[in-house]
Amino acid sequence: MNKLGTVISFTMRNKMRSKAFLITTVILVLLVVIAGNLPYLINKLGGGDSASDVGYVSGSYPEIVQQLQALYAQQEKQQGHPDVNLQSSADEGQLRQMVADKTLDGYITFTENEAAGFPNVIYHSRNALGSSTSSSIQTMLQQVKTNLLVKDAGLSEQQIRSLMTPVEVSTEQVSLGEGSGKTAAEQGTAIGLTYVIVILLFMSVMISGQLIATEITAEKSSRVMEIIVTSVSPLAQMFGKVIGTFIVAILQIAVIVGALAANLSLPHNADALQSFGVRLDSIDPSLIVIAVVFFLAGFFLYAMLFAAVGSIVSRTEDLGQAVMPITMLTLIGFYIAMFGLTHPESALIVVCSYIPFFSPFLMVLRAGLSEPAWWEIVLSFGILLASTLLLGWLSAKIYRTGVLMYGKRPSVNELIKAMKAYKV
Amino acid sequence: MNPLKVESIVKHYGDYTAVNRLSFEVAEGEIYGLLGANGAGKTTTMRMVLGLIMPDEGNIRYYGKPYSREQLSMLGYLPEERGMYPKVKVSDQILYLAELRGMPRKRAEANLRNWLDKFGVPEYYDKKMEELSKGNQQKIQFIAAIIHEPKIVIMDEAFSGLDPVNVELLKKTVKELRDNGTSIVFSTHRMEHVEELCRQITIMHRSNPVLQGSIREIKKKFPQERVLLSADQPIRGLESVPGVLSAVEHEHGWELKVREPEAAQAVLRHALAQGPVRRFELMEPTLNEIFIKTVGERHE
Repeated sequence: MNKLGTVISFTMRNKMRSKAFLITTVILVLLVVIAGNLPYLINKLGGGDSASDVGYVSGSYPEIVQQLQALYAQQEKQQGHPDVNLQSSADEGQLRQMVADKTLDGYITFTENEAAGFPNVIYHSRNALGSSTSSSIQTMLQQVKTNLLVKDAGLSEQQIRSLMTPVEVSTEQVSLGEGSGKTAAEQGTAIGLTYVIVILLFMSVMISGQLIATEITAEKSSRVMEIIVTSVSPLAQMFGKVIGTFIVAILQIAVIVGALAANLSLPHNADALQSFGVRLDSIDPSLIVIAVVFFLAGFFLYAMLFAAVGSIVSRTEDLGQAVMPITMLTLIGFYIAMFGLTHPESALIVVCSYIPFFSPFLMVLRAGLSEPAWWEIVLSFGILLASTLLLGWLSAKIYRTGVLMYGKRPSVNELIKAMKAYKV
Repeated sequence: MNPLKVESIVKHYGDYTAVNRLSFEVAEGEIYGLLGANGAGKTTTMRMVLGLIMPDEGNIRYYGKPYSREQLSMLGYLPEERGMYPKVKVSDQILYLAELRGMPRKRAEANLRNWLDKFGVPEYYDKKMEELSKGNQQKIQFIAAIIHEPKIVIMDEAFSGLDPVNVELLKKTVKELRDNGTSIVFSTHRMEHVEELCRQITIMHRSNPVLQGSIREIKKKFPQERVLLSADQPIRGLESVPGVLSAVEHEHGWELKVREPEAAQAVLRHALAQGPVRRFELMEPTLNEIFIKTVGERHE
């Protein structure tokens, strides 16, 4: 068993020392730091500190313009700055010139519309798409229109205000068990968390899996394998490699998750998250347990497959093609999970959450987003664990045979024949 | 009790028989030659000795005991296809391999420094494998095979790809290992190395052991049929001496093929009759000739 330890520590030492590993980790941490501050940045950029300058032709529809200015003045009092600064000008030609000179962001014009009882408004700006300014103007004008019409109807201040107040609809998930279900905020958090877990599993499987397979093939193609297999049992070697890579992957993930958590807990981000409806303290600890357990089993399931494939390929050039089926499996699991984020109870998700290659993604998703019965989770995990053990055993056999076979990639038949011949 | 005893091992790959009833024994401090053309079954034999694959029939005994994992630590292996981790420091990988075979790290470290000094390359300790020249990588590979002080060493084409200076260096080292009591199974295509190093050999051909025994015994079985002869004055009529099969005149004398050793004496008498003879030699067959004869004959 201490040989297993030797293989693990050698694998880890080499990996952690490699430049590629260090660079990837640094890049991933940077990405996570950026992503972690994204809610804050979105708030910052989307809200926009500066008001847009919007012009109008003086004298046209003075009543509307006056009310509009009043509303923006009111907004300025509330949020510190208005969305829009209105500026008057003599005629449209001059306005157009000012837009061209970039002294104005845009301008509005009115055309009479008898039927609607309110003029049509056109917002002219350099870019017609994605303008938050035009939607702000629209909201304000809607209010102006309501004000104008309601004023004529002779309603009281009180009535007008209650007319303006929007209807509030909030959602709460129906819980099958005791206690209250998840609120929308908790649901949002769960989606976010599930998303993070699924991506973490996907990435660590893809990156570590490829690493394991590449390393085994490299050992084989450099023929160092011949010495290794005469020094230590292939089993100890394979599991040492898988476990070593796993520990490195976990360390890498810990660094990344740590960076993410540290960034999210910064005060400005906590506010931003709150405004998005995400609350970290609403995470259910049992979800974390389920996620960890499924993550472990799923990781080893895939890692051993990668190891087995790596062992039957003789040249690194052929590896990409050989691992393709496994890559496809992870991709399918990943994309079903992405679909499942919005449909956690669909039949596809429920069925696939029992299939070992997909259950690490999907059972975690179901546990996060809907409420599967405990026996469903246990059954799914049982299937996953059994197939991990079975595949571990099979992979060890393939590995034992594969490392001694050189030349072209053997077919399944050749592999079985060789297994019999080598008496593994 | 001999360190290694192979008893009539057989290995089939499907319908193909890779090794057929091979037996040999290697004593302490002996280098045993395993010869054969490509595909004769040498590598399969070595893999069985190393415990990578199990023989279908027969036994392999290590100091009288059957194979078990524990015995890996007393086996050393220098594979034909060389290779180490190209991007790992020499010391890291050698110590790793030593540890895998159960040698304490401290002792392995001391051994490695000794070997590097012996080969005159102590500065390689901290170098990466890929930074070394091919010949020097071979030296490191050689050290990797023996770093853990194995009792039995398997060397597949030990000196391939080395320049003559390094061949001498490694040959000297192999002899030292032998003198310290290590048992070595040695495979090569270079017959002059076998003649110099090995006491006993097995020649394999198409999975079968076709010739076995000590080199001296084997050579006795093959007739001495080559005669080298030179004299100061020209010699005439050598072709007509009874028992001479062919006579070719080279720059510095004659090379004759005779039917039996007695004919050589007739040749000498014939030459002496014409004047003094400067050189007369009845050559024993080289291992190379024996090998080609044994393997070649069965090719037809």
